[in-house]
Formats: sequence, C-alpha cells, structure tokens
Amino acid sequence: MEDNANRIVKKALSLGCEEAIADVYETNSFQIRFSQNQIDITNSWREQAASLFIVYEKRVVMTDIRDLSKSDEAVGKVVRIAKVSQKNPEYGGIAKGPFKYPPLAVDKRITSLSEGSDFVYSAVNAALAEGAKETAGSFLKNDQTHYLATSNGVEAKDRRADLYLSIRAMAGPESSGHGVECATHFTKFRPEKAGEKAGQIAAMAKDPKRGEAGKFDVIFEPLFLGSMADQMAIRNSAFAVMAGLSPFGKKIGKKVASNVVTIYDDATADGRGRKRFDAEGVPARRTAIVQNGILKTHLHNTSTAKIFKTKTTANAGLVGPDPHQVVLKPGDWKKEELFEECKDGVYVTNTWYTRYQNYTTGDFSTIPRDGIFRVKKGEIVGTWKDVRLTDNLLHLWQNVKALSRETHEVEWWGEVAVPSFMPYALATKIGFTRSAE
Amino acid sequence: MPGEELTHFAVEYARSRGASYAEARHEYQIGEQMILKNGVLDALGFSEDSGIGVRVLANGGLAFASTNRLNKGDVRDAVDSAMKKAKGAARKDPISFVKEETVVAEWSVPEKVKIADVPTDRKIRDLVELDKAVHDLKLKMPARIFVMSHNRIKKLFVNSEGSEIKSYSPRIRLYYYLTVAGEGDAEQSYRNYGWSGGWEALDELRITDKVIEEAKSLQLTLEKGKKSPEGKMDLVVGPQVSGIASHESCGHPTEADRILGREASQAGKSFITPDMIGKKVGSASVNVVDDPTLANAIAYYAYDDEGVKSRRRYLYKEGRINEFLQNRETAAKLGTRSNGAARATNYDREAIVRMANTFVEPKDWEVEEMLEEVKSGVYMKSFMEWNIDDKRWNGKYVGREAYLIENGEVKHPVRKTVLEVTTPAFWSAVDAVGKDLEFEAGFCGKSDPTQALDAAFGGPTMRLRNIALR
Repeated sequence: MEDNANRIVKKALSLGCEEAIADVYETNSFQIRFSQNQIDITNSWREQAASLFIVYEKRVVMTDIRDLSKSDEAVGKVVRIAKVSQKNPEYGGIAKGPFKYPPLAVDKRITSLSEGSDFVYSAVNAALAEGAKETAGSFLKNDQTHYLATSNGVEAKDRRADLYLSIRAMAGPESSGHGVECATHFTKFRPEKAGEKAGQIAAMAKDPKRGEAGKFDVIFEPLFLGSMADQMAIRNSAFAVMAGLSPFGKKIGKKVASNVVTIYDDATADGRGRKRFDAEGVPARRTAIVQNGILKTHLHNTSTAKIFKTKTTANAGLVGPDPHQVVLKPGDWKKEELFEECKDGVYVTNTWYTRYQNYTTGDFSTIPRDGIFRVKKGEIVGTWKDVRLTDNLLHLWQNVKALSRETHEVEWWGEVAVPSFMPYALATKIGFTRSAE
Repeated sequence: MPGEELTHFAVEYARSRGASYAEARHEYQIGEQMILKNGVLDALGFSEDSGIGVRVLANGGLAFASTNRLNKGDVRDAVDSAMKKAKGAARKDPISFVKEETVVAEWSVPEKVKIADVPTDRKIRDLVELDKAVHDLKLKMPARIFVMSHNRIKKLFVNSEGSEIKSYSPRIRLYYYLTVAGEGDAEQSYRNYGWSGGWEALDELRITDKVIEEAKSLQLTLEKGKKSPEGKMDLVVGPQVSGIASHESCGHPTEADRILGREASQAGKSFITPDMIGKKVGSASVNVVDDPTLANAIAYYAYDDEGVKSRRRYLYKEGRINEFLQNRETAAKLGTRSNGAARATNYDREAIVRMANTFVEPKDWEVEEMLEEVKSGVYMKSFMEWNIDDKRWNGKYVGREAYLIENGEVKHPVRKTVLEVTTPAFWSAVDAVGKDLEFEAGFCGKSDPTQALDAAFGGPTMRLRNIALR
C-alpha cells in the first residue's frame, strides 16, 4: 500500500502535475445496529482505495481511485480532466515535508476484534437495569490504515483504530436518555457506562410536561455541549469563513466567548479524532481556536493560510480545512456545584437538528432531545418536552459562566460530527421557544 | 457490467452457506463535482466507484457486508463475514422479509443530452456563466457558493428468489448559498435543485432565472424588509415551504422503520404508532404523497433496492394517515406488503426505508385567489432556518422571502417570520391548496452510518388560516 501512494504521486508528476497528494487507505471495520433491545443488523466493510489530489497549472482536481490495480489509468484520466478545468488563482500550494511524527499507537486488541455483540448487550442490560424499557443504538469497531505520499517529500503512515457505542434508552413513550462511549484502548472501553447513562436519564425523564418559552440558565451535558463546540470549530474553517457560512469573519482577536472558554482543535489528544498528520502530511498539533474567549485563529491548510497571511494549522482536508478533534478546556467546578449555581434553569442532555437562519450572524436554533429537566435552586424539579433552544452561537458562548473539571469524550450521529472532549457547562440567559398553542 | 458474474456468485455462495435469503447489489457510480466559490473554481472532483454489497438472512439474523475488491476471494470473504454475523445475532424473534414478486427487469432514465457527451470544460463553463449572471446584478454580495454535481449510477440487483434487475440512473444536482449584504446587515439563501436525466437539466429547471430572482429578492428583503407581524393570522406558504413540511412532518413520521424504533438512536422515532392508520392529522384538503415514479424527479426509480416495483404512496389522504413507507422487513413486522421504499446511497450501505419525491398533491386554487381572501397575514414564499424534533411533532420554519398581506394585497417584505408549530396544527390549518406544484431537492439524512440520499420535496402554494406567527 505504501508503494501505491508513492507510485500514484510519481505518475501524476510524470504527467505534468506540479503537486500531488495520494492517501491510500484500507478500512476493515464493522458495526452492529440494534433496536428494541435486539441486534437488527451487522454491517461489515473491507475497502481499499486512494484519495488523490493533483494540481496541474493551478487547476485543482480531486478523485478517489477505487481500483488500485488500475491506478495509472485513473491518474491519467484525472490529469486529462485537470487540463480542461479552470485555474484557481487563490490556490497557494501544499506543505513542504518531510516531517517527523510521533510513534504509531494502535491497540492490537482492537484491530484484532471480530465480535461485538457482548458489548451491545452489556450496554443494553445496563440501561434496562436503570429502568429503561427499550433501547436502540450502534456499536462500531473502526480500523483504518492510511499511507500518505506527497510531491513535497511526505511519506507517512497512520492507523486509526477505536471502539464506539451509542445507545438511546426509552423508559416510556416520551422519556428517553442517550449515552455514548468512545475508546482507543480496549481495556478502557466500558459500553455499560453508556447504557447506565442513557438508562438513568430516561428513568429521570418521566412524565415530561410541555416546557416554557423564555430565557433560562442552562446546564449542558457534555453530549449537548459537543454539538455547540463542533459549531465553533466547523464554522471556523477558513473555507466556511470565505463562503459566508460562518459568524467568525473579521473576528480574529475579538471576543467570541466568555473568559472561561478555551477551545482547541487537537488531533494529538488520545481520542477517536487522533491523527498523526493532516491531509498534506503536516504533523498533528493542538491549536487554540478560542483562548479565554478571544478568537485566535481560523482553521487552515497551507493554501487558505496564504490567503489569510498566516500559517497552516495542520487542518488540511482534501477540499478545505476541517477540525479533527475539538477539546474544550475544562474548568474547576464540580458538576454538583454547577447545579447549585443554577437557581432558575434547565438541564439539557442532548440535541439535534441545529440550523441557522443566517450563518454570518450565527442566529440558529437546535432541538433538545432526550431528558430536558427544569432546575430550581440547584434541584431538578420536573421534566420538560417540546422546547427548542433558539439563540445565537456567539451569544451562547459569551454567556458560558462555568465549566466542570470533569470531561467526557463524545461523538454522535451527525450532531457531534467531530470527536470532542467536553466538560459540563453552565450558561446564563439562553433562549427557549416552543410551538404555538 | 463489470462484477455481474460476481453478483450472482455472491447470492449463490450465500445460499450454499445456509442463508435463508440473500441479495447482492453491484453498483458502478461515475460523476463530477464542481465547487465555485466567489467566482473561482475552488476544486473539481471526479469520482468513479464500484463494489458489491451483500445482505443475508440466516437463523433469523440479518447482516450486510461490502467490498470494492471485485474478485471471487474478497466477495466470498464478504459473504462469509455476513453469514457469521447473521447467525451470531441471537435474536429472540427472527427477522423475516415479506413475500414479494420475483422480478426480472431492466430500466433506465433517458437523457436528452447525455451527460457523458458533455465535456467537462462545457460543464464548468455553464456553472461559471450562472455565477456571472448573478455577479452581473452588481449587488453587494460578499459570498456566493455554487456546487454542481452529476452522478451516473448503474446497478445490478440479484436475490435468491430469482429477481434480477439492471438499471441506469443519471442525476444532476445544483445547490447554492448566496449572501447579500447591506449596512451592517445581511440576508442569506440556500436553494437546492435536482434532476433525473441528462444535461438538459439546467434549461428545464430554469436555474439561471431562479437564481437571479432569488438574488434580487434577497436585496429587496434587505432594502424594504420590515419586522414581521406577530399573533394569530392567515399564512400563505409557497411551494418550498409546503415541500419541506411534506418531507419533515409527513414523509419522515410515516417511515415504518422509524415507527418500529429501528432508527430511534439516530434519526429518531415518530409520533405515529402502528395503530394510527386512519387517524386525522390535517384538514380534508391535505393529500401528501411520496412518488418514486415521477419522471425527471431526482429520486426517480422503477424498482427499489430490494427489487420491489415502485409506486405512488398516499401518506396522508384527505387529512388522515393513510399509508406508511415500507420495505420488506417492516412490512413483514406490520403484516402488510412492501411499497418499494427501500433504498441505499451506494453498494456499501444497507437499503432501508426512505422517502423519494414527497409532495403535497396540488388542487385547483390560483395563488391570487388564495391571497385575495386574506384580510391580514403573511405570504411566506421560502424559508432558511428549519428543524423538527425527532418524533416529528414540533416543526419550525423561518421565512426567507416573505411579505405582508393586507386586504388581499401583497405589500412590503417582512423579515424572519417564525412559524413554530405542531404537525397537526400545521396541516389542520390548511384550507386551500394551489395548482402551482414545484419541487426542490435535498439531502435526506438517515441511517447509521448516515446515508445522505437524493430526495425531492415539493408542493403548491397553500393557505393556512388563523395560525400563530412571530
């Protein structure tokens, strides 16, 4: 596979390309989906392919080569397409290697794993023990190997192997909770913890009543906060900023969050988003996007960095810069103290369907799901349903008052799309709306 | 078709290993994607992909495996893997598929202008000219993104019951984001169009005219837009709004797998339960259908990914829940027949219950007739922000292009009209349905891993009486 990456790059250069990147990857993963406390289906994937990025006279073309035995032919085809494409005058090149990388760290007990149903039933049974009646979710064993070669001297290998379990528990028709468990080390994978969490929230969320509209203090569960932090990272991709899909344009150096908020993109942290290098081969690093509330940088590849007159942040994806793994620096509060501080508020545990009215202003809404709890004087006094968090991304982060010292690794279907490490948070004066009577 | 022999081999081999049912789907997809950012071709993507996905039922368990290594050894490994996992599922109640007809068929979508005959540089030129037409309006437009893609899909579906279906489906999609700025203010729009067929799509869909209209409307909203009125009043919604409502608050909640809880952890459940067929959710004016057989709609197909013939499905009929979207697994559980709703994005994903082209069935009202009977209200032609809860009960649509209506006349634009409403409250308020059916395209998200699937949604203009707006 390593030879394939080099051969593809050499072929592209021999056909006149000035730059080329080949990422030859192999996937050997499987997933178990379950619902009604039983396994619905197991999906298995064995794939071998290459992602190719070429630049021919400033014309940028990307492709996937699915049949590596015909890679020469595929490279020829993509170069012919490049020749009739249009120049990108903004294109600013790829990183110059070679680079040094930290050692590979893969748990062989994960890569050799071929069964997962015990993990599923461990989570299901833990949720049922907490009072849930029904569960659904998925377990994933992920194993991907990447061989990267570039025309600028990069030759690198990465193997990303991890385990993931997501479970939603239902204690009644409108009483549910969600838990997730992520691990890069086999012995640290505790699917029953996700089951317990989901089951506990579901059991607590009994007899929900229609919630109120207004401004409330809010305690965010890490899973919910992961969605909001993802938005801070994704909307700071230089591509999003240039495309008008971000509220962070012209805000470098400005206050975009409260003083307690420091958000990193950190592909070096030991989590499911860990990588040795980005799509150009630049070694993974920790980048402060927001530091003590001040926006420090957008996320860049080499090309966007030139446009913004800065340096790459090692966030190259093949199309544009992407976050790898979002880390919100923990605070010094105990979780219980956050609740004590919340005099008149709401504790939200999960959300979905975050959508913007205007990306440049950050006006959005998102729909809390699973347990939503009314908090008064630090105590949970009831359960809500049918409310929507309607606010502004910058306003929400500027109103974060306190963060817990306890953090959790979270990732969830579509909503927490980037693997993240999140504490609990307390924010003030957050808007809630609901459907009209 | 490359892989044809292997597709048959996969099914035969699975049967020889003890599968009670087996199917294999070979797909070959070839396409391009162009991203034009602020007038510059940011990147051109070319994709050519093929592989085989195999799904087996064994000992009451279901498993799927796929490979893009098209040789006998790797296909055999995929089948072995699926068989092992299906047998190991240890379900208390076995999964079964409802009996459906054995089909041997071949279908394809005609292209007036074959995509393969249109050179890449011509496609890029068409996109650049579209962007130029907007740029030439000389509006203050700090950001504009156009993404155009086409994909030609060849499939071979084979199952152990003797079905064998070949198909060819060319599809074109264009979506864009426009930002028009004013003094310390901005308006944004996102629109998405799709087509099954050839490169004639851009003319047939009148894309350039529509984008220019949208850009001018953004400018008008910025210049003349006022605060939207609040309180209970009449609301006239345009095709884009009735389309998204048909998708979100009718199509999704009538998906049988969602009703049965199979998507509970991801896309969610439904306010509808299996015993709710016939239950009233809207006024008698409301028919919402899902129809894969609509010519040129982006989600056109003649047979689904389980080999079941497609047909129009009346999901809500005369305001009542009429039919669920079914595949063979859900139909078996609910004691009915599949209505051909099983689809997958590619060979490497299981086929699950999906919408195709979902829309409010048009009736006979003219838009002007609906407006002239409104004493006080809002005409919301399009939306920007939208979402709905996972049981599909509480939806929200925030106006993008909207106008005040007074005494039957359309007045000045109003900004950010908020309709936050339950599903039955929305459909029950409908008292008039127009004849001006229009469609837009979307990426419908469901399944795990997410399968963002081609879908169309549409409808005519509709009038809703006495509904709360903010």
